[in-house]
Amino acid sequence: MNENLFTSFSTPTLMGLPIIIMIIAFPALLYPTSNRLISNRIRTLQQYLINLILKQMMAIHSPKGRTWSLMLMSLIIFIASTNLLGLLPHTFTPTTQLSINLGLAIPLWAGAVILGFRYKFKTSVSHFLPQGTPILLIPMLIIIETISLFIQPMALAVRLTANITAGHLLMHLIGAATLALFSISTSTALITFIILLLLTMLEFAVALIQAYVFTLLVSLYLHDNT
Amino acid sequence: MLSRVVLSAAATEAPALKNAALLGPGALQTARIFHTGQPSLAPVPPLPEYGGKVRFGLIPEEFFQFLYPKTGVTGPYMLGTGLILYFLSKEIYVVTAEMFSSIATIGLLIYGIKKYGPSVAEFADKLNEDKLAKLEEAKQASIKSIQDAIDMEKAQQALVQKRHYLFDVQRNNIAMSLEVTYRERLHRVYREVKNRLDYHISVQNVARRKEQEHMISWVEKSVVQSISAQQERETIAKCIQDLQLLAKKAQAQPVM
Repeated sequence: MNENLFTSFSTPTLMGLPIIIMIIAFPALLYPTSNRLISNRIRTLQQYLINLILKQMMAIHSPKGRTWSLMLMSLIIFIASTNLLGLLPHTFTPTTQLSINLGLAIPLWAGAVILGFRYKFKTSVSHFLPQGTPILLIPMLIIIETISLFIQPMALAVRLTANITAGHLLMHLIGAATLALFSISTSTALITFIILLLLTMLEFAVALIQAYVFTLLVSLYLHDNT
Repeated sequence: MLSRVVLSAAATEAPALKNAALLGPGALQTARIFHTGQPSLAPVPPLPEYGGKVRFGLIPEEFFQFLYPKTGVTGPYMLGTGLILYFLSKEIYVVTAEMFSSIATIGLLIYGIKKYGPSVAEFADKLNEDKLAKLEEAKQASIKSIQDAIDMEKAQQALVQKRHYLFDVQRNNIAMSLEVTYRERLHRVYREVKNRLDYHISVQNVARRKEQEHMISWVEKSVVQSISAQQERETIAKCIQDLQLLAKKAQAQPVM
């Protein structure tokens, strides 16, 4: 079933057809909608959580920035649900693929930057030069700031990919260690299993935190530029 | 589109109908009926209160009921155990590293759900109840304010019925004060008239007294003037003689 360590990260195919599109679209099926005022528990909780996150995240933005609310909410829900679903056994997590994360990060970051350059040119350009720098350092500092600006989408994408991939790999490795130690000495296997439990708890947290961090950073870039 | 074909065919059959064919599709469209469904979704049908019953959180109760007539109570459990052992022994499900991580993940999930499930469900119920309570509160506040308005209106109407008491009291008050003023003025008139009459009386009294005094003094003066010197001496001697007699009488008394 899994020949080497990395088969769980390969693009899933079903009888030769890539079903990656369906896997990416799948989490949307898990969130019910209804046009009632009072619904069942899961819908109430969903409403409550989305309201909470929305208020927390969009409070700092101006009305122009708040036009991005739908985008950012969809982003955080997508990343959180794909990360959490990836923790189940034998599942494929789209966010482990750099392609998907770059596809999320670059357009959002570019949108924010272009928005800033179009509507507030002076403010956007002034971000390249922090206040109170000595005159001699200005050229170097501008180059450094430009590089740091262009690194932002790369950092976003690679951060998410690396975190999730590393978590999955670690779980896989420790699981393999437990399996190998099971026939040698059961108590060591038990200790390793406890380590696995702790790691799983961490993974749950990381899944949610990464989603939050990604969306927060995008919203920060947006705040800078609106 | 087919209607146009039909109409053009009809037009070729009967040239008199050609004008009708030109208007045909439009007439058909105007005859079409829209909005045949219900105009609103209310009242929304109620949601079921509890979900379907499941065992092990996955397998619906209906499956057990389905197998019960043929295999009894332990049937589905035997089926489940057999399936799992079959998959394991035939290596359809391979024991890999993933198995341990899946045990860890699913174990953690089950533990979390069992531990925090009821409290989260209570929280969700409370959210719904709060929403309903807020709306109910708004409704009750509206009803209450209208009821208060109605009560105030009724009270005002009742008060209007009793207004005549107030008017009677006011009328009595005014009559009394009028009476008091009248009597006061009457008394003043009386006093003024009495004053004037007293003045006249005292003027008369003074005049009469003056006349009397004047007459007395005139009579005294004329009497005193009429007493001559001779008469005065004789009167004085007689008085002295009387006094000496009286003195002798008086001296005689205490001795006894």
